[in-house]
Amino acid sequence: MRTLTNYLSLTGSYVRFNFRAQLEYRGAFFSQVAAMFINDGVWVVFWILFFKRFPVLHGWQVEDVIGLWAILTAGFGLAFGLMGNTLSIASIVAQGELDGWLLQPRAVLPHMLLGRSAPSAWGDALFGYVVYVGFVRPDWQRMVAFVLLSLAVGVVFIGFGVLSGSLSFFIGNAGALADQWRNTMISFATYPPTLFQGAVKILLYTAIPAGFASYLPVETLRQMSWGYALLTVCGALGMLAVGAGTFYLGLRRYESGNLISMNG
Amino acid sequence: MTTVLYVFMRLWTVVYVATGSERIGGLNQAQILWYLVATESILMSMPRLWYEIDQEVRTGQLAVQLIRPLSYAAAHFGRSLGERVVRFVINLAAGSLVALILVGPISLSAMGLAMFLIVLPMAFIIDFLAALLIGLCAFWLESTQGIALIYSRLMMVLGGLLVPINVYPESVQPWLRALPFAAILDAPARILVNPSAHVFVQCLILQIACLTIYGIGAYALHSIALRRLFVNGG
Repeated sequence: MRTLTNYLSLTGSYVRFNFRAQLEYRGAFFSQVAAMFINDGVWVVFWILFFKRFPVLHGWQVEDVIGLWAILTAGFGLAFGLMGNTLSIASIVAQGELDGWLLQPRAVLPHMLLGRSAPSAWGDALFGYVVYVGFVRPDWQRMVAFVLLSLAVGVVFIGFGVLSGSLSFFIGNAGALADQWRNTMISFATYPPTLFQGAVKILLYTAIPAGFASYLPVETLRQMSWGYALLTVCGALGMLAVGAGTFYLGLRRYESGNLISMNG
Repeated sequence: MTTVLYVFMRLWTVVYVATGSERIGGLNQAQILWYLVATESILMSMPRLWYEIDQEVRTGQLAVQLIRPLSYAAAHFGRSLGERVVRFVINLAAGSLVALILVGPISLSAMGLAMFLIVLPMAFIIDFLAALLIGLCAFWLESTQGIALIYSRLMMVLGGLLVPINVYPESVQPWLRALPFAAILDAPARILVNPSAHVFVQCLILQIACLTIYGIGAYALHSIALRRLFVNGG
């Protein structure tokens, strides 16, 4: 319990520190947040126009797709707003930049992940919550479920990001491959699951875990089902365990970059 | 691109089955996927010109280009267009392979290909001018990344990247067809998969108007920006 409190306090300190660092260039920060908000909004406009022409897509309606975008962007935003280095693990490992984190008196993985915040991710997080409240107009039970599920989705993204980035331990600079893998997952996660069948559906709950990032959370919200909620949480924790396990397994193969740098 | 094509093949399969129509927006299912190959190839072939200009302005590398006997914009134009053509050919080849596997071939006419080859370079130039305008904003803004992101997303949705403009609700179609995004994505792709002289003429008129407006805008912004340039020795 004490360790958990300790790490939560560390997280709070890093969030404050990262925010202050970003506010040094506040024009750039706010423009990136606004741009990401608009970017996500454009997708929702696309789906609204699409559903005007084709009102039902295998049982899915426009509200469901908006809910899907809301939970996905909220989880994505929280994940990379708080732990932005998840997106850079592959290059950090390949360039031998882990040395600095290995010397710190904290567990290397969470500490390194907290070291940077992706500014545009806050635009995603803001978008997710605003759209869910504004378009779906949930009752308080659904709102509480949405907040908790967005945290679970964030955990899925962190776990998957760590897993894909950790490829660099095994195959050298895996930056492009990790990006491609992550983007594939996001691409699938932004479309209704009813489009996919057979072997692809299995892939979406294993190698490309879009199912845990959007399909199960959305079903939870649609049906307010404890069963789907439990599956989402189990999926998120499983993904995190696989990601962290792969990272620490790979860490044994890590070779220092003998890099000399000043962290100020 | 493979993922996007697969996802959209599934999406359109479901839509065609649900509506029971053979043609939607004037295109059959195979044509829609080939339309997507064309629009994706055009969009994905664009080099990150705005980022290069942004970095050159911030780091002062711009000064090196300015002492050369070629205008800054013209140098970028040549480099960007050369790179874009190569990237477009590679993307088109990869996309065509995926489309062949997913839905098989469609019939292309010589006239359609000829019209496509006329409007495609114009589309590239309009997109180049837009990227130049965005990059030059670095003289005033801390970051141009936000504007570039919004531009690319507007292009995706309003330009008909994923869904042909003919499929959108009829009330918004005239507005979308009048925007420059349609001259870059929707019209060229439509001319390739379902050629029509009417669409070709409409596209050419829009492209000429866009070239004129963007060209004047880029020239003016380029001149104003260079007047604001301060180069410190080093």
